Amino acid sequence: MSETRRDEQKLWLILFQIKGVRSRLNFLAMQRWLFAGIAILIGAVALTFFAAASLGPLTFLGVAIFLLLAAIVGIIRETMLVRAMRTSPARAAAIADTRSQMKGRLTTVLALAATPKRSPLWAYLVEDTYGRREEFEPARVAPRWLSRALYPLIASILLAALAVPAARFSNAPRRGPARLGPGGPGQITADIRNLDIRPADPALRPNAEIYADPETLRKLADKLAAAENADRNRPGLSKLLDKARSFADAFQDKLNGLDHARNPTRMRLTDRNPGQPGKPRNDNANPSVNGNSGDGNGLADNSHNGAAGTSQPGAAPISPPMTSIPPQQADELAAKNSTPGAGSDQPQAGPETPNTGDPNSGGGLMHGAGSDPASLYGPASARPLGSDSFKIAIEAEPSNESTSAGSPTYVPPRIRVPLNSNQYPDQPLARAAVPAADRTTIKRVFER
Amino acid sequence: MNEAQSTAIAELPTIADFARTFRRIQAEIHKVIIGHEQAVQELLSALFAGGHVLIEGVPGTGKTTLVKTLGIALNLSFNRIQFTVDLMPADITGTRVILSSVDGRREFSFQPGPIFCHILLGDEINRATPKTQSALLEAMAELQVTVSGTTYPLVPPYFVMATLNPIEMEGTYPLPEAQLDRFLFKVRLGYPDEAELVRIISSTTGPEEAGVEPVFEPHEAALRIEGLKRLVREVIVAPPIEQYAARMVRATQPANSRVLGDMHASILVDEVNRYVSFGASPRGALALILGAKVGALLDGRANIAYDDIDRVAAAALDHRVMLNYAAHSDNVDAAHIVRQVVKAVRATRT
Repeated sequence: MSETRRDEQKLWLILFQIKGVRSRLNFLAMQRWLFAGIAILIGAVALTFFAAASLGPLTFLGVAIFLLLAAIVGIIRETMLVRAMRTSPARAAAIADTRSQMKGRLTTVLALAATPKRSPLWAYLVEDTYGRREEFEPARVAPRWLSRALYPLIASILLAALAVPAARFSNAPRRGPARLGPGGPGQITADIRNLDIRPADPALRPNAEIYADPETLRKLADKLAAAENADRNRPGLSKLLDKARSFADAFQDKLNGLDHARNPTRMRLTDRNPGQPGKPRNDNANPSVNGNSGDGNGLADNSHNGAAGTSQPGAAPISPPMTSIPPQQADELAAKNSTPGAGSDQPQAGPETPNTGDPNSGGGLMHGAGSDPASLYGPASARPLGSDSFKIAIEAEPSNESTSAGSPTYVPPRIRVPLNSNQYPDQPLARAAVPAADRTTIKRVFER
Repeated sequence: MNEAQSTAIAELPTIADFARTFRRIQAEIHKVIIGHEQAVQELLSALFAGGHVLIEGVPGTGKTTLVKTLGIALNLSFNRIQFTVDLMPADITGTRVILSSVDGRREFSFQPGPIFCHILLGDEINRATPKTQSALLEAMAELQVTVSGTTYPLVPPYFVMATLNPIEMEGTYPLPEAQLDRFLFKVRLGYPDEAELVRIISSTTGPEEAGVEPVFEPHEAALRIEGLKRLVREVIVAPPIEQYAARMVRATQPANSRVLGDMHASILVDEVNRYVSFGASPRGALALILGAKVGALLDGRANIAYDDIDRVAAAALDHRVMLNYAAHSDNVDAAHIVRQVVKAVRATRT
């Protein structure tokens, strides 16, 4: 074999090894692009998922948009970076020169391999480079098989693995109301007069099935029309924000697997004074009065708790304003609603039902029973009513959500004031059978 | 290896020969010159690259001694010219004198000046007038001297070393840019450190002087040095390295330079634009490559690496970068500019 041919073979082997270095570097660059891209995607999805479970709609929307943009920018940047890292043969030779201390030998051999006119030192250069071929083997130039971008990928997978349970944990309060089924404890009863209708807060995802008699529904329709008029006057930015919140909330629910539509809140709407035309109620007029706004039935408020008791001797003495009833029964009740005192028949009332005094939760119904003179003459209560505590009625909307997820309902403390020897604790008058002789007189007083 | 290559290489000294000879000369010089390793290497690099050297240093740092020692080590003819303000060009180049022959005829005969030698030391070249300084130009660039219309060739190897005294500038004539550009390298000789000074004291104040052994025999010295210089020229330079050197030279040229016109440098160094009035000429690029070739041979390579270019950048470009008044006022020197340029260009390596 001639000297020249041997030199050519050595040159070919050197070039082949440079090609191997190039392939390896490009393979690593491709891995980097792939791993980094997947890592960015997984990280962004995990953070979005966590944000959906733990943030309010508008914040979530902002965070989601930011994450989306960051992911897009990250992937584009990574693509450009990897594209710039794409190794040409000359670049591969330069990298191999640097990493294996070949001091420009590979760059020179590669650059001048195709040159016909070569220096007298060319053979020396080829021989010298060939003698050092172990120093620039692909495995030595790029010892890694896997790109370092694998670490961010693992980190993002771990992040995603942590984000799922964290999201479930923080999502629990949101899931609670959604599980309320028909006849569940979330079923509520409200009076049309206490119903404040205003533009819905998308964050609360208003979703309710309302049962009521036709007359009440008509009043509800009037109120809705009035609310719609008010809504038209709202500024555009506010509507846009509502739309954004609505969109974000729907997206959040999708991510969290919540479906409000399948589990609506069931609300029974009543009208405690069906005879009077439903007039729009000014909510700010007397916010502290529960149910006697506008008609002066203050006495009915006092008989609020007793109404149920008088009508059903065997029933629980404290009748809740908010009840949970199945829809069928609610419909029946709605049908009976036109009868005065009908609300006193509360078949579902039980001692375990909390007596919150909520004006929206059947307070009107109870007032109707208590102010009806006919109901004053019911049978005596089985035990004394009331206590030495008092109630403050507040205006509140029936809602599935609290402002802060998972926060407990505020229960006002009971205050007991020590009495002196001349004082006696307030005792509510026990209901008693009215003597027949006095019935006419008492009836006249109350009818006055 | 084909026949042509074999023949060519047979005529050339080997790379190992080159490195061995270079190290030997270095060692001989360092018998006398204590320290200044970098300066000695640059000096020898310029010699084998076929260039000339401008040596700058304060008095007493061994400029003249260095050059004399080199002459002895190489065993080449050596002349020294002390440049003064009254030195005339003919004092350097030689002149025609009337000589009487045996038969009584008188004829003009050329008496060669001190410029006719292998190694010429021009001591304190900036003390001579520009007219005298320029007498060196032709000799340095073209290895010939023209006197009274007759051209006399110089015998290679021809190596000019000019020293510059950076102090006592009163009454001096700074070298014009054209002449500065003809020096391949500018070598700076600084003060020796304490340990070197102690060695200098002990070696020069004793009864015995250090003896420098010539590396070459007198009859072969010129031939061998020329062979080594040819070997330097054969060192292979890859196109990316040539581009690197070109980029470095272009980076020394300010973007607002009048001579640059619309052809702006691809690498803009802020300090170059601020402090440089004229950058390095194409001779600067040649100096970079030639100096790098010597560095490659010393490293046992037949090719240049990027680092070889970086290593000679200071010596090759310092005296080619002309600073403006802002640089003088801000106390910025050319070495700093070149460092910045190298740093910027290094970042562009492929």
